[in-house]
Amino acid sequence: MRIFILVFVALFIFCCALFLGPQIIAPGPLSTIEREILFSIRLPRVLVAMLMGMALGASGAVLQGILRNPLADPYILGISSGASLTAALGIIGGMSFLGSFTVPVLAFVGALVTGGIVGMMGWKRGGLWPERLLLAGVGLSFLFSALLMLMMSISTDEGLRRAMLWIFGDLSMSEWSRIPWGLAFVVIGIVLSATRARALNALILGDEFAHSLGFSPQRERFILFVSVGLLTAASVSLGGMIGFIGLLIPHIMRFFMGSDSRMLIPASALGGGSLLCIADLVSRSVLPPMELPAGVVTAIIGAPYFLYLLRKKDVLSI
Amino acid sequence: MSSASKPYILDLENVLYSYEKDSPFIHDLSFSIPEGGFIGLLGANGSGKSTILKLACGILKPLSGRIKLWGRDLLAQNSRDRAKLISYLPQTLDISVPFTVKELVSMGLYPYDIPPALSVDEALDMVGLRDKADARLTDLSGGERRRTFICMTLVQGAGLLLLDEPLANLDIKYQIELVKLLKNLRELRNIAVIMALHDINMALQFENVILIKDGNLIGSGRPDEVLSQRILKQAFDVDVEVRRSASQGIYISYDNNFAERRS
Repeated sequence: MRIFILVFVALFIFCCALFLGPQIIAPGPLSTIEREILFSIRLPRVLVAMLMGMALGASGAVLQGILRNPLADPYILGISSGASLTAALGIIGGMSFLGSFTVPVLAFVGALVTGGIVGMMGWKRGGLWPERLLLAGVGLSFLFSALLMLMMSISTDEGLRRAMLWIFGDLSMSEWSRIPWGLAFVVIGIVLSATRARALNALILGDEFAHSLGFSPQRERFILFVSVGLLTAASVSLGGMIGFIGLLIPHIMRFFMGSDSRMLIPASALGGGSLLCIADLVSRSVLPPMELPAGVVTAIIGAPYFLYLLRKKDVLSI
Repeated sequence: MSSASKPYILDLENVLYSYEKDSPFIHDLSFSIPEGGFIGLLGANGSGKSTILKLACGILKPLSGRIKLWGRDLLAQNSRDRAKLISYLPQTLDISVPFTVKELVSMGLYPYDIPPALSVDEALDMVGLRDKADARLTDLSGGERRRTFICMTLVQGAGLLLLDEPLANLDIKYQIELVKLLKNLRELRNIAVIMALHDINMALQFENVILIKDGNLIGSGRPDEVLSQRILKQAFDVDVEVRRSASQGIYISYDNNFAERRS
């Protein structure tokens, strides 16, 4: 029942984000300008926000489970740092071999290659080990961040500004052409992780427990890791880095939906998508025509609410 | 294990296991557990109790020897099918996860596509936790948490339950409660139990005991036959006194180890 309420809320927020903004579009007959704003600018932008938020929320719920760490988020594995590095390389280097797809594809490849390296470093004795994954991710994250800063410190002003915008999450560049690809990877990632939700519940209780319940812990962790990699790569390549959602949305959803991953994964996806849609709406409505970075708005809206929940009830556990 | 009439459900034949190369930890271990057996696995810290339980459920794979579950090679069995026969509860159960009692107990259904005969509610009734179904694990007492995990294994429908030191960190009231519950379940559902434990006197409550020392089996059989002063000295490296009372059978005292301090 609660999940249906959440679906309804997400749809409502999606519609609000679509029709509200600096220019409010009233339902009914649309002028040519309104139609242009709605279908060419707003709809792709809100769809990208929803997809990115869904990917981040779901991957956060999965990652906190497989790493058995309440502080894990999709960026802790260094996947986003890898994506940022390759995307910045493309922006600052002025690459355009795939047209408008160049930067998203570079980010996607960077994310997947980094995910592969983290996976290889986290692999020992025939499986992925949570502690190794976490430490490998943190180590790579630092390395890639340092390389990114080095690259930005020697870049031109224009390249630097565009790279910075992208890194802080830029939804203003959303366009229709990217959406089918983003949608495909986000759907694959969420479906893959949702079908392994029972195994994730067992893994949260420990590998020996998962074994006793008839799962192969290493195999399940590998599948879930692949789904997180796909979701993070899809999200980062759609619109850059948006912090907070992957870390805190799963905790907020646990408070409302409980800890069963079968509910938590779809709920975190819906919650993440909704929050990013709200954040995007606020970011383009507060100081028009200026836009605030969506990632900053997400944290400003979400963090106080999370702290309020933390104060009321202990939500910071997996 | 002594049981002339009941079929064996777990057979370990010449099992050898090593954590490090060229340094065997479990040596040529053989024993069999009958259907409905109630076995205490006794030994000092580091003697190999946990390793034996992990070998028996397939978490660890023996370097040589065979392990058979209901007559079939354990390692040849599909992991979901195996989960319907045998359930293992590790020594440390992470109770920091905020699952509710019902959510955890329902995990026992995971190996099944079609739910088995015993429902979650019936299982909760059997362990006396029906009224705590919606409580979070973190809000339960130590005894209730153990009962929740036992309840999950009931739903799992396994005929053999391997428990790694479930009495550790429980006060005596909960220890008695848990052992009584397991005895009860054995009567009701013919579930065999192998429990690793330290408490020698608690071992007297079991039908049979297996004594382990440095990965070797040093004794097995009925507690009143096996638990002698000599073998307990060998297993735990401590002097104990096995006392016999006409009404209650044997009990084991280690008072003599404190005699010096008293005088």
